[in-house]
Amino acid sequence: MAKISELLANLEMDELMEVVQKELDNGTDPVEILKEGEAGMVKVGEMFSSGEYFVSDLMMSGEMFKEMGEMLEPHLAGKTGDVLGKVVLGTVEGDIHDIGKDLVYIMLKSGGFDVIDVGVDAKPEVFVNALKESGAPLLALSCLLTTCYDSILNTVKAVEAAGLRDQVKIVIGGGPTDESVVRYTGADAVGDDAQSAVRLCKEMI
Amino acid sequence: MIFIGEKINGTRQAIQEAIIKRDVDFIRKTALDQANAGADYLDVNAGTDPSREKEDMLWLLEIVQSVTDTPICIDSSTPEVIQAAIHVVKATPMINSINGDPQRLESFIPFINERDCNVIALALDESQSGMPKTVEERMMVLERIFKATRAAGIADDKVYIDPLIMAVATDQQAGLIAFASIRAIRETYPEAHITGGLSNISFGLPNRALVNRTFLTLAVEAGMDSAVVNPQNVPLIESLKATELLLGRDRFCRKYTTAAKIEFVKK
Repeated sequence: MAKISELLANLEMDELMEVVQKELDNGTDPVEILKEGEAGMVKVGEMFSSGEYFVSDLMMSGEMFKEMGEMLEPHLAGKTGDVLGKVVLGTVEGDIHDIGKDLVYIMLKSGGFDVIDVGVDAKPEVFVNALKESGAPLLALSCLLTTCYDSILNTVKAVEAAGLRDQVKIVIGGGPTDESVVRYTGADAVGDDAQSAVRLCKEMI
Repeated sequence: MIFIGEKINGTRQAIQEAIIKRDVDFIRKTALDQANAGADYLDVNAGTDPSREKEDMLWLLEIVQSVTDTPICIDSSTPEVIQAAIHVVKATPMINSINGDPQRLESFIPFINERDCNVIALALDESQSGMPKTVEERMMVLERIFKATRAAGIADDKVYIDPLIMAVATDQQAGLIAFASIRAIRETYPEAHITGGLSNISFGLPNRALVNRTFLTLAVEAGMDSAVVNPQNVPLIESLKATELLLGRDRFCRKYTTAAKIEFVKK
C-alpha cells in the first residue's frame, strides 16, 4: 500500500492506476487507498515547496489524484472518508489569475477538504453566497494583483456585513500577498504556496 | 525525435587518425559518449580508401558494439561494405543511404530486405547531375524511390527521408525550401521518417550552432522527426525539448522538466 503514495509522489501515472486497480481487485478498503493517495499528494506538495517539482508536476499529480478518485468512487459508496471540512475558494474581483487558485484547489481537495470553487474575478457577494449555501467555515482568497487588495478588503467586509465573520476564517494567498496585506484587509492568515494553504486550513478548522 | 549520432565518421580527422592508428579507446569513448547522451542510432562511416574501407568498417563495428547495444547506422556507398557490415551488426541497423539512382536502389534493396533494415533515402538522384533545387524536384525523386521500396515490400516507416538541406549563406531561400519540402514529404508519406544533417544550413556563417538549432526547431514544427547530430550538444537538446513542449507533445511538460533536472545532458 505504501507503494501508492510513492507512485503518486514519483508521478508514475500508468503504474499508479494499475496498482490502484490491483488493490481494489484484492478487496483493499478504498478509504485506505484514498488515504495513501493523500499521503502521496502531501509529498508532492512538499517537493513543490522545496523547488524540486514544478507547476506542471503539481498539475500532473492533481490529474493522477483525480483519476484515482474516479476509480475509487464507485467503491466508496456509503463509506465516507474523513472529510476535514468545507472551504470556499476563489480569485477576488478584478483579478482573473487562475493557476495558483487551481493549484490550491488540487491541494485542498487531496488534503481531504470539500472545496467550493467560485472561480476568478469573483465579487464579494459571490463568496458570501457560497459561504451561506455551504456553511463552510473557511474562505480562501487568491489575489495576484496589488491593485486588487481592496477587493480582498471588500470581501472581508462583506463577510462581516453578512454576520458570518466570527464563524469563518479567511486565508489569503498569491504572488504579492504578505502579512501586511493580512493586516490591511482584516483577513486571518497568508499562505506562501499551495502547500501552506492546506496547512493553514488544517490549523484553522 | 530520433537522433542518429554523427561522430564516428572517418571523414573527420580525429576519427580518421584513430582508425589508422587502431586507437580502440578513442572509438570506444566516442561511441559510449553518444550512446549515453541518448543517441538512437550510431552512424559508423569508415570514410577510408576503398581498398581498406571494409576492413576498417568491420573493425569499427566490433569496437562500437563491444561498449553499447545502440543500433548502428551503416554509412557507406559501397555495396560490399554494407553487405559485410549487415552480417556483423547485432541490432536491426539503419543503412545510410539510398537515393534515386536506379543502380544504387537495385544494389541496396536486397540488403535492406535481408535484415528488415531502416534506410536513409536522399531526395536526390546521383545518376543525374546537380542537386535538386525545388520542392517538386525532390518529390519527383522520392516518388521513384518509394516506388522501388514499396515494390520490394519495404514499409514506409522504415524509410528515413533526407530532404537535402542547403546552405542559407549561398541561397537565402534554403530554409524555406527545406521547410516546404518537409511539409510536402510529411503530407505525401505520413508514415515515413524525415531526417537529415543540421549543419549544412549554417555553412559559411558565424555562430553556426545557433542557426542549426533554430533550424531544428522550425523543421520539427514542419514535420521533421529525426536528425543526424552530435547527441552531446546540450543547447541543441534544450531547443528540442522546448520545441516539443511548445508543440503540445509533452504531457504535463514531463519530458522537459525531467530533462531540465539533468541539465539537458541526455536527449
